[in-house]
Amino acid sequence: MINKYFKNIKQHGPKRMQSTIMMAFSIISVSVMLVLGVVVYIRFSASLRQEIIQSTQKLMEQTVENLEDYLVSMRRISDAVYYNVIKENDLSEKDNSIRQGMNLLYEANRDNLRSIAIYNNYGSLVAAEPVALQKEDPDVTRQDWYKKAIGKMENMHFSTPHIQNLFDDATLRYYWVISLSRAVELTDNGVPATGVLLVDMDYSSISRMMKQINKTNNGQYYYLCDSNGQIIFHMRQMQIRKGISSENSIEAAKYKDGVYDAEFEGKDRKLIVSTVSYTGWKLVGVIPDSTFTHGMFNIKYFIIMLILLMAMMLEVINRVVSVKISSPILKLNESVMEYEAGKKPEIYIGGSLEIRHLGYSIQRSYEQIDTLMNKIILEQNERRKSELDALQSQINPHFLYNALDSITWMIEGERNDDAVFMVSELAKLFRISLSKGRTIISIKDELQHAKSYMNIQKIRYKNSFLVTFDIDPAVYSYCIVKLVLQPILENAVNYGINSMDDCGEIKVTARIEDGKVIISVADNGTGMSEEEVGFLLSDSNNVHKHGSGVGLVNVNNRIQILFGSEYGLSVESEPDEGTTVYVCVPAVPYTGENSKNLEKGHMQQ
Amino acid sequence: MKHNKKLFIFIEAVLAIIVISLAFIMLRENSSKDLRRVSVVVQGSDGRQWAAFRYGLEMAANDYGTEMVFANTSDNLTAEEEVEVIKREIQNGADAVIVQPVPGDGIEGMLREIDNKIPVMLAGCTASVNREESLLPVTEPDNYSMGRTLAEELLSDYNGNIEGKTLGIASENASQEAVINRMDGVLDVLEGEGAKVCWSVSGSLEETGENPLDKQQSVDIVVALDDRSLVTACSFSAANNLHGALVYGTGHSTEALYYLDTGIVECLVVPDEFNKGYKSLAEASKSAKYFFRKMSDQKISYKVIRRDELFLPQNQEILFTMNQ
Repeated sequence: MINKYFKNIKQHGPKRMQSTIMMAFSIISVSVMLVLGVVVYIRFSASLRQEIIQSTQKLMEQTVENLEDYLVSMRRISDAVYYNVIKENDLSEKDNSIRQGMNLLYEANRDNLRSIAIYNNYGSLVAAEPVALQKEDPDVTRQDWYKKAIGKMENMHFSTPHIQNLFDDATLRYYWVISLSRAVELTDNGVPATGVLLVDMDYSSISRMMKQINKTNNGQYYYLCDSNGQIIFHMRQMQIRKGISSENSIEAAKYKDGVYDAEFEGKDRKLIVSTVSYTGWKLVGVIPDSTFTHGMFNIKYFIIMLILLMAMMLEVINRVVSVKISSPILKLNESVMEYEAGKKPEIYIGGSLEIRHLGYSIQRSYEQIDTLMNKIILEQNERRKSELDALQSQINPHFLYNALDSITWMIEGERNDDAVFMVSELAKLFRISLSKGRTIISIKDELQHAKSYMNIQKIRYKNSFLVTFDIDPAVYSYCIVKLVLQPILENAVNYGINSMDDCGEIKVTARIEDGKVIISVADNGTGMSEEEVGFLLSDSNNVHKHGSGVGLVNVNNRIQILFGSEYGLSVESEPDEGTTVYVCVPAVPYTGENSKNLEKGHMQQ
Repeated sequence: MKHNKKLFIFIEAVLAIIVISLAFIMLRENSSKDLRRVSVVVQGSDGRQWAAFRYGLEMAANDYGTEMVFANTSDNLTAEEEVEVIKREIQNGADAVIVQPVPGDGIEGMLREIDNKIPVMLAGCTASVNREESLLPVTEPDNYSMGRTLAEELLSDYNGNIEGKTLGIASENASQEAVINRMDGVLDVLEGEGAKVCWSVSGSLEETGENPLDKQQSVDIVVALDDRSLVTACSFSAANNLHGALVYGTGHSTEALYYLDTGIVECLVVPDEFNKGYKSLAEASKSAKYFFRKMSDQKISYKVIRRDELFLPQNQEILFTMNQ
């Protein structure tokens, strides 16, 4: 898989400059944004947690104060009943002063009170406010509040919430109360006796306070329990009692005031515990972990959105910057590539100072290269021309020697007509040979040259062979390098049919094939082996050749120098059958312009 | 260059889509959540007997994030009127209804029709007299078992010997499935014990009603099979108009408990009305929230309470729920 990936990368080759710049910018900006986002989120999260905990603590402090105020007011009522009413009056007094005192206090605090009652040490009702019918047999001595008051006479005792079971309420209702009980000293006919003062507080007052702070809907809640963990108020009190829900109030009751990390039913949460004075009750604030995440929900999404928007913006900026930086370089590159592809546009010069300088440098370099190239081509052409001239000059002395030898021989034999014919043919030959110094002539002239040459040779060889010309007239008007046929004919005469007695035959043909002019010189002479044919056009000096060995090689070189390596000579030969030499040149019409171009060597270019 | 441009546009488009999606999620979260609404239709909605039931409903509504509407109904609600109330509640946007079916012809069919539109949960008893024919889910105690328990308590008060004792059985509606089952339970236990059921009355049992209890034949024991008949019997007994008969019965109102507290009722079997409310609303909320969720029957417990046990901590919660 990894190999495949790297292979893929390799296949794609080097990245473009703009991609690299953009990628680098993008990676840097995304990394910075991510780090920034995470840091901001963590900071926000911590600060929000702290804020939630602090606000919870403040709210709890306030609630505890309210509860304490409430309980203090109940204690004050109890104190007032005891010290101002019970202690000041005798039960036997007939003016009902105890009841009146109790009534006064009850009426002043009736919003928070359910009842005030005094019981003697037998559990009998001494006085109660509001006046109500006592139940048939409530047996208060078995009730918790009474037992606690008698058990610890020096203390005031707050009970947990319970149903008041004292009076027969005509409305058929039962009241949920918290009892404040204390042992009191009653005076009956001047005789002191122990009794119990009961102040039943309406549970709904505490319930209201607790409900007030439990209005948040983010999962956070508060409950009240006594020092043993018994729940006094919980929003899901009944669900807990019914087993539908649960709460670790027993555990929480053991905590001192403070903030604690706790785990309940597999979920983390924060517990904030505050103790209510006088009672030992614990107000517990529960902040589930989900509350923090709920609070962070919007911030989290906001930060992500901000990062994404910044990413979008940076992507645009990155692109603009990368295009700005890379564009001049890309344009310069494109102009260089076009130049390399053969077109010749102006090299781009633009962009920053450095890139302008680079453009100027490249342009100057290309101009210099062009100048140098032209110079080299010119020098090469000159060199080739001089080579050609040298090759041509190799032919002339060789032939001239043979021709003059023949004329000498004719004059000596007094064959003046033949000598005249020979000289006139020789004149034609040299006229074409000279051709005003041109290398390129028409095929017609070349064939004329060949005919003149063969006429001279025939005279020299006393018409011992037959020469035929089978020429397609269409070829006359095409270009050819001059004096290519003469060495071939010379070879055909010297090495092909020289040894034959009057039956030698040389046939010269010319035709156009596929845009090429093919001229063949065929003899029916002795022929050559395949090996000899192979060596015929070889430039190697190590190979044994007939004659000086320059004839055919020269011709081939001259054609190829001017027309290209795909043109030139080819030889077919069979021993005792004869030899055919093909001259192949491109069918270039013989015009002044073509001739001039070929002379300059432009054909090959 | 073109490839770069395409990639750039693609990245920008992807980022834009993510931003829009996030904004949508944020807006959806921030917009106030559409609470499911469950309406509750019972006969005599103002009656004290619904206090614990209503408290259970409210607690479940809090726990399940549901809006609970307790429809106003009269004491003499008929089946047709009940269906009308339900339809009105649906028009007002109820996503599910909890119904205490009023006995009447074709109430089951009418409720099934409603059930095709929104989930219907029955509370307290089935709509059909025959338990087997009822197809709608119901939250109720085991009424037969309640009847049996009540009769067994009665027997135990007489040390298992009620030979020659006379009984009167009172109920609000004898054609209600819950009452029928309770009666079956009572009669099955008392059968062969030598007690004689002198009368069995239902309907309006008040002095001005069609079957006033004080006009019935004098009996030793009156068994009341529902809260209303129990309260009526107790009020007669309190006024010494029940010819000295002892009262046993089932009930779930503060009046019923008050009469137990004052010794007028000998033994009271109390169904867990809080759980009836809680479980029925929990089930209805889930069904309203998840379209393909089918509601199932919910069983609730009941308690036998004697006078001397009324203020035990474990029984105080019953009074607590009734006084909310």
